[in-house]
This record gives sequence, structure tokens and C-alpha cells, in this order.
Amino acid sequence: MPPLDAAAPAVEVRGLVREFKGGIRAVDGLDLEVRGGEIYGFLGPNGAGKTTLVRILTTLLRPTSGSARVAGYDVVTDADRVRRSIGVALQEAAIDPLMTGRELLRMQGALHALRGSEAKRRASELLDRVGLTTAGDRRVGGYSGGMRRRLDLALALVHRPDVLFLDEPTTGLDPTSRAALWREVRSLNDEGTTVFLTTQYLEEAEQLADRVGIIAGGRLEAEGTPDVLKARVGEPMLIVTVDDPADADAAREALRELGRVEPCAPGGTPERVVVRTVRGKEAIPPAIRALDERGVAVASVEVESPTLDDVFAAVTGSRLEGAAEPESAAA
Amino acid sequence: MSLEPRVIAALGRRALSVQFRRAQLLMPTFVLPLMLLAVIASGTSSAQDLEGFPAVGSYLSFVLPGTIIQGALLAGLTSGIALASDIESGFFDRLLAAPVRRVSLVLGRLAGTLGLSVLQTAFFLLVALPFGARYPGGVAGLAGTVVLAAVTAVGIGGIAAAIALRTGSLSLMQSIFPFVFVLLFTAPAFFPRELLTPVLADLAVFNPLTYVVEASRGLLAGDAELGSPIAGLGASLGLAIATTALAVFALAERLRTT
Amino acid sequence: MASAPALPAAPGTLAVIGVLWRRSLNEVVRVRGALLPATVAPVVFLLGMSGQFSRLTGLEGFPTDSYLSWIVPLSCLQAAGFAGAATGANLARDIEQGWFDRLLVSPVPRPVLVAGPILGAITRCLVPTTVVLVVGFLLGAELTGGLLGLLALYLAATAFCAVAGLWGVFMAVIFRTQQAGPLMQQGVFVAVFLSTAYTPQALLRGWLEGAAAYNPVTYVLELGRQATVSGIEPSLANTWPGLAALGGLLACFGALAMLGLRRMGA
Repeated sequence: MPPLDAAAPAVEVRGLVREFKGGIRAVDGLDLEVRGGEIYGFLGPNGAGKTTLVRILTTLLRPTSGSARVAGYDVVTDADRVRRSIGVALQEAAIDPLMTGRELLRMQGALHALRGSEAKRRASELLDRVGLTTAGDRRVGGYSGGMRRRLDLALALVHRPDVLFLDEPTTGLDPTSRAALWREVRSLNDEGTTVFLTTQYLEEAEQLADRVGIIAGGRLEAEGTPDVLKARVGEPMLIVTVDDPADADAAREALRELGRVEPCAPGGTPERVVVRTVRGKEAIPPAIRALDERGVAVASVEVESPTLDDVFAAVTGSRLEGAAEPESAAA
Repeated sequence: MSLEPRVIAALGRRALSVQFRRAQLLMPTFVLPLMLLAVIASGTSSAQDLEGFPAVGSYLSFVLPGTIIQGALLAGLTSGIALASDIESGFFDRLLAAPVRRVSLVLGRLAGTLGLSVLQTAFFLLVALPFGARYPGGVAGLAGTVVLAAVTAVGIGGIAAAIALRTGSLSLMQSIFPFVFVLLFTAPAFFPRELLTPVLADLAVFNPLTYVVEASRGLLAGDAELGSPIAGLGASLGLAIATTALAVFALAERLRTT
Repeated sequence: MASAPALPAAPGTLAVIGVLWRRSLNEVVRVRGALLPATVAPVVFLLGMSGQFSRLTGLEGFPTDSYLSWIVPLSCLQAAGFAGAATGANLARDIEQGWFDRLLVSPVPRPVLVAGPILGAITRCLVPTTVVLVVGFLLGAELTGGLLGLLALYLAATAFCAVAGLWGVFMAVIFRTQQAGPLMQQGVFVAVFLSTAYTPQALLRGWLEGAAAYNPVTYVLELGRQATVSGIEPSLANTWPGLAALGGLLACFGALAMLGLRRMGA
């Protein structure tokens, strides 16, 4: 199957609003575009509107106003074509515990118009792909959380969809299962599948996404590649720790060339010298050279870059879960 | 054996409030018996014309004790279901960890059943009034009926609690539901004993509920011919004491084996 | 869009109904004892009610002298109705747990998503219906209607099962919670009993007299009674009201179920 025309957006959202009873706007005037072939990470805390957006894009919920097209088709007027083009793995994937993995895959095949023999072959192929061949004939009721998520992913792939929606695919998984799922998503993307991923884990967005959108209060608050987003909050910090606090001023003088030297904070550690520099890690060798020329003995040099969490905090005023202790206050 | 009335009352109140918060527990106990009553009272009222049917003022009053006993059966069963659900959810373990006597846990649950049954019976008696039920037995008859039903509910609750404690399975408790009706139908719940099919009439002799239904009929109508209050009280008390002991024993077994 | 990618074909309706039918049978085939309560309850009611009220046949105007024969079709209908309503409870569970979303995002026409489970219910209801019939027969109910009568009884039971199933589906898509389960069951309960369940129309008194006359289930019941009641012989006159009632019920609840499904936003 040919991948989507790279010029045509895989997902195109314009002024999308979804209002629930009581006037609560879970999605509140959202504009968004996902290009064919990319992995788009959609980041937000619980209740930010992620799941509502995914449900609209996958034809499970109708928008109150605005429009959304997926794979070139309108999600309301052309829902059937959208359904044929997308694969969906929803959060807290419910899988019938009474059926075996293989049966579920074959059933999914029938739902997507695969002929019996083809569905059978595809089921074996996918079980193999997600590493469930031996478990394939056992009932799903006995699967672990990681196995279920892998099966769920396989189910979303049965009809070789152009656009894959993954709603918090690794929430609640252990690190090993998470890494395995990430590998699989990457390799699917390499094969040309566009992936729309929601997550509340920064690491996941950072590891997988070509571009990241941050949603809060039903609006898209920021969007871009992880690097661009991080650069927006601030330049990386070069942190030099000198052996003798008396040398600190000399060190500041030496590093002036590299960027903006931060003044010594009163009550801070006197041996620490901080320089904001766009050059990031590349600033380390010249820094060492400059310090050496002035005869400043150095204990350590390190570079600290802003994280997506800093971006998130800057954009929404709150921190995401998974990054230290979550602040419970909403944005 | 010293009792802990305050613990028992607290547990009983909690059992009762849970019952009223869960619609799926409330519907069957309050609504189902009334539906059956409506259907039977209306669908079979021509039975009064049958030969051998006792002369009664109101057919509705005659079948009402069947509904009251059905309510008591269901109140007992739902308390077993609620107990099983407490066991599955782990709440019961928390109770076991509390410094209270084990017997109080059983008695508290049954106190809730008792309270539920009193409310239910009063509700049935009231609802039937505008539809033409009459209680010539007066306040004493009404009070006696409420007591009989409540003690019977405790008796059924004891069996249900014993099963719940032994199995801890919610789905098993729910599938017991039809068997409640076996107990109901092997008593002359809605028809005079003399007019049941002979096999059933013979069986009814061994069903304690037979005496409860008949006693309550007698009490409501103020006519001891219809049933002896003493026999009813004896049957229900005997049932309650025996099954409460069974439940206490089941709890001891549960603690010993788990 | 000139370069629109070729879409996979629409799925074959029969194939999808087939897999969804098989899946709904899992509920009883793969769960030990799952059919037991659904079978025992109507049998208990059959035995209990016939034991309590068998003398009613002594009343003037009762068309048969075997009360068991009178209520066997009732118990069959009840059993089939409960099996049908279970479809709603299962669907509510599927909606609650998110499984139904999986079906909704597939390119399958919405009525097909409901047809599979309804067919499953019809298949499942054959077990309790047959058990009730056999128990009734063993205890002395007479099969006076012969093969045609039996056919009418099974037709009444299976179609009523489908009606109850659609009612359950409607409740499930409206409430979307398993808590609505008792509501589905009790709807069937009321519908069945507000009919000529225990006594023929001529012996009904008061409000039930009117309710039963207007209740379509009365006519479905009479359709089934051609199997066992000697006073209601198999004939076209006894058949068409039941068929018409079933047709109307199916159309009505089918439309409600579809409307409810649309209202879910899918």
C-alpha cells in the first residue's frame, strides 16, 4: 500500500471544539496538522483534552464545531473512509478475556474485510511481529499488561492502516515493556505509517516524536520539534565547578566569550559558575581551553539542557506527572 | 459471650447505607416483589371464586404476605451478595483487622438485614393500601407481621452470609437468585395450602416459610384460622438462630483456612 | 484528490455477523455454568407457579385443564426474553470496558455490529427454552399442537428473544453502564407478566384486563400457546396477531436501538 502523499497532511484539525454537558469545553478551538509519515506526540496532563481529541479523530465522538480530516477524509461526513484508513489502540485497551490473541486478530481481520485465509495469515504474521507467537493461542484473560498492549498494537495493525492512533500506549507498563513498544512504533514509522501518539510521559514524547504538541485546557499551547521547543524556554547551561572558590571570578572572566555569564547568586555555592550558551555541549572544549589558559583548576564541567518538562511548565504553568512529584495544581 | 452493641449497630448502619446507595441492590428488594404482587393479585384474583378458597375480605391482603416473605428472602440474599462484594473488594479484610469480636461482624451484617426488612415490609404494607388492601388485624397485626418478616430476613441472611463467607464469590452469590424462588414457591406464598398441588402441599410442611406466611396472613386479617402467629414466630426464630450460628461457624472456618 | 490512496474494501456483512455471533457465544461456551442461572430460573418459575396456581384451571372459562400446559409457553418466553436482555447487559459491559470502541472504529455498518450479538442471544436462548419445554413435557404438559404448534412456540420464543435483545441494546447505549442490567431484565419481566400470563383474558380483572389486551406480548404468548394448550389450536387466526405483534416490536425496538447508537456519537 502506498504511504500517504507526503504533501497531504495525515491529520488536519481546524477550529475544533467539543463541548460536553454543563458547557465544559474539553477541546476548545484547536488547530493542528500532522504530516504524512511523521510521529506526532501529543502531550498533556490528565483531563487536558487528549482523549477527547483522539476520540473525535477516530470517529468515536462528534465535534461540536470545527472540522477534522484524517487521511484526507472528514471525520464526520466521511467517517467510514476514515475508519478504513486508521488503526486505533485506545487507552486501557479492553480486550475480550475469553478469546485468544489469535482469535481476536482474525476477528479484527474480518471487521476490516480481510478474507478468512488472509486474516489467518495476517494473524500469525502480527503475533510474530509483536512477539506473542507462543501466547497466541492462550486466552487473553491470562496475559500480562505488557502482552495486552502488544496485542492491542497488533490489532490496530491488521489492515495496514495509513495512520495509527496510540492513546497513552505505555501508561502503566514497566520500563522493559515500554522500550519494546517504542522500538515497535519506531519500526512501523520507518515503514511509512504516520503515528499520532498521546502521552503523559515526557520521555516517551522525547524518544519517539518528530514533533510535539502540548495541550492544556483544550487548546494547543505549543508545538514543534522537541529541540525547538526546548530552545524556546532557554539556552542550555554550562556549569563549571572550580576547585578553589577564589578562582570563581577568574573563571567567569574566562567564559565570557562563550555566552551570558550568570551572576553569582548570593547564598549559592561560590565554586559554581553558570554560563547560558546556545552552543550546548559544543561549548565544553573551548571552555576547558579558556580556563586552562588562565590557570583555573576545574573540578567538573557539565551541560544542563532544558527538558520538555521545563517547556511544559513554561507553557502551562504546571508540571507533568512522571517528572519528579507532580504538582496537583491545575494550570 | 459478651456482645458489642455499638459495633454491631455501626456495621448495620453501614450495611444499610450501602444498600441504599447501590441501585442494583435496591431494585430487586423493593421493586421486584411489588411487580410480582401486582401481577399475581391482578392476574389470579378470580381464584377467589374457587371452591375451598377461604373467605377473605381482600384478595390483595391475602397474597400480600407472600410478597412480604419474598422481600425478606431477597433482603437476606442481597446482604449475602453485599458481603461477598466486601470480601472481593478487600473491605472485609479491613474489618477483620479491626479490634472487634468476629461474631460482631456477622451480627452487624445481619442487623443491617433486619433494618432493611423492617423498612421493606412497612413499604409493602403502605403501598398496598391505596390498591385496596385492608388490615383488620390492626396495629398489633401489622407490628407482628413486621417482626416476623424481619426475623425471617435474618434467617435467610444467615444462610447467605454463610455461603458468602465460605466461597467469597460474588458471581456464585448472584447465581443463587433463582433458588430464592424455590423456597418461596414451596411455601403456600400466594395460594392457600389446601389448594396447592398435592406434591407441593406435602413439601410445604417442611418449609419454615409456610408457617411464616400463614402466620402473617392470620395477623393481618386478625383471623387465627388463616395461620397461627406462634407457629410463625417459632419457625422464623428457629431459622434465624440456626443460620446465624452457621454464619458464625463459616467465619471461623474462613479465618482458620485462609 | 487525484492521489487518494486505494482504500481496503468494505467488510462482508455476513462474515462480520459471523465473527460477532461466535464471539457472543463465548459468553456461554467458555464460561463454566454460564447458562445455569438463565435455565434454572424459568424452570423454578414454571414449577413454582404451576404448583401454586394449578387449581385455577377449575375456573369457568379456562381453556385447558392442565395449568402446566398453560404456563409452559409463558416460561419459554420468559427464558428467551431473559437470554435476550442479557445481550444488553453484555453490551453495557463492553461499552464500559472500551471493547465496543474497537468495534465502532471499524468500517462496519452500525446495524451489523448489533446483529451479531442478537443472533448470538437467539442461539443461546434455545437452551433454556428447550429445557423448560422438556421439563414441562416430562411433568405432564401436553403437546397438543403437534409439530406446527412447536414451530409456533419456537418462533415466538426466538423472535421475542430478539425483541428483548434490541430493548437491552437500547438501554445499554443510553445508559452505558452495567448498572442498567436489572432495568433490562425487569423490562422483560413486566412485559411478559402484564399479559395473559397466568389466566386467560376472559378471567382477568381490573387494570390488567385492559393492559393485557393492549400488550403485544399477549399475542406473542398466544402464538406460542398453540403448542401446548388444547383450547388454542394451531391456526392462521391464532398465528397472525402474534406475528404482527412481533413485527411491530422488532421494528420499534430496532429503530430505538439504532437511534441510541447514533446518539452515542458514532
